Amino acid sequence: MRRKATAIGAAFAALAVLCAMFATAASATPAWKFESKSLEGTEVVLGAAIDSSLTIPGLTTKCANFLYKVTIKNEAGTGKGEVTEVPLYNCTTDQPEVCTVGSIGAEKLPWPVKLTTVSTSNYIVIEGVKVAIKYAGIECALGGVTVNVTGTAGGIVDNATETATFNSTTFGATGTELRALATKILWTGVFPTEAFQWHREQPLSVS
Amino acid sequence: MAQRTAAERLLAAPAKTAGAGLCLALAVAALAGCGGSSDGSGSQGTASTATGTASAGPPDPSSGAAAKPASAAGKGQGDGGGSSSGAGKPNGGEKKHGTPVTLPKSEAGREHAPTAAEKANSTIADMTLLSPSFPMAEGIAAIPAPYTCDGQNSTPALRWAGVPTGTKELILYVMNAKPVNGRLFFDWALAGIDPRSESLEAGRLPAGAVVGTNSFARQGYSICPEPGGAETYIFALFALPEALSPKPGFDPRALREEILGVSGDVGLLTAIYARG
Repeated sequence: MRRKATAIGAAFAALAVLCAMFATAASATPAWKFESKSLEGTEVVLGAAIDSSLTIPGLTTKCANFLYKVTIKNEAGTGKGEVTEVPLYNCTTDQPEVCTVGSIGAEKLPWPVKLTTVSTSNYIVIEGVKVAIKYAGIECALGGVTVNVTGTAGGIVDNATETATFNSTTFGATGTELRALATKILWTGVFPTEAFQWHREQPLSVS
Repeated sequence: MAQRTAAERLLAAPAKTAGAGLCLALAVAALAGCGGSSDGSGSQGTASTATGTASAGPPDPSSGAAAKPASAAGKGQGDGGGSSSGAGKPNGGEKKHGTPVTLPKSEAGREHAPTAAEKANSTIADMTLLSPSFPMAEGIAAIPAPYTCDGQNSTPALRWAGVPTGTKELILYVMNAKPVNGRLFFDWALAGIDPRSESLEAGRLPAGAVVGTNSFARQGYSICPEPGGAETYIFALFALPEALSPKPGFDPRALREEILGVSGDVGLLTAIYARG
């Protein structure tokens, strides 16, 4: 009898430990929040990059207007979403006299989005990124060639400024990379994360 | 009036595409942020994206990104069932986001991804090209000195995959990523490579290969940037659906134009050499 009671007690203890572990894990997964309340349902983030550039070694490409539409939601307490549109305007290179952008566009949308925490900082990770760029210019080494930029991008979320910043540090922290020409390439930019549908004007945070 | 004028500019381009709707939605938000000012700020093309007031509710994203321009511009709060639009904003009329962003004034300048037709008529970087001779440093290939004029200027080993079926000839180029004196600089051009091959051995030319005249005016290979400088090089292996079969000492510039005209595939590799 005593043995049976001990076994039941041990089972409850194990269950309690598991519950505690689960609770810890759940609280460690970042979620989209508005005024400290977790987002229920979906919300739309629309924005225009404050600054953004894509650097293949030897050639940097910038767009005067880099817009984006991201649908966000929480699933099982974790922030998720997808990038649904990325219209780009007036894209140029840092060698404008020799290399121009013939065409550029996001492909295979939507790109899945998830939030993650690394060393107490919250990051947004965009998966399945694919951007096709066709450069032009007879004196451009990549002229006439369509280059595919593919991979995963991780950017740090700053609740104070409501922005996501992508740079080499954030890619390193999240273990993500974008590649083209058999090389890791650098995408930098600051992207406001402002809600535009049901929670417009409410501060969007990640925690 | 400034709002209407700026909106009309955007509406001048029909919102046929998703991007146009997104652009329009951002513009509406920006205009709302102007607060009806008549100083023309709304038409400057810059605004915070979420400085709206209660008088200009959000457009209806649920209608797809191709928002309805007229209704989007004129809707009041609560559109689409949202309960917090305007009324729920925490800062009243204060500007919440300080950094302005530039918005496009119209669809002019809108970029597009290469279309299927464009891809069919262009050279696509779908093949993989790697060099076992080049160690990777932070994800970027670095050219060791033996493969430059600081060493033996030996040709590096290369490996590739993904050559399309039906390829008749492979042609390899090594070019400076940045032009020299405004002209594309060719370090190596090698034609006549067997389309069935999958590699080049270091320091050896494959049977049947034909070497062009590089920008050092030599029939051969040379990686030799200015002393003290670093240069990025692009290795490009073109897979051609028809054989161009140039003669030894061919002009790489003229051949490249022919190559791009036959719409093949290409494998690309970038590598960096910093000369001490």
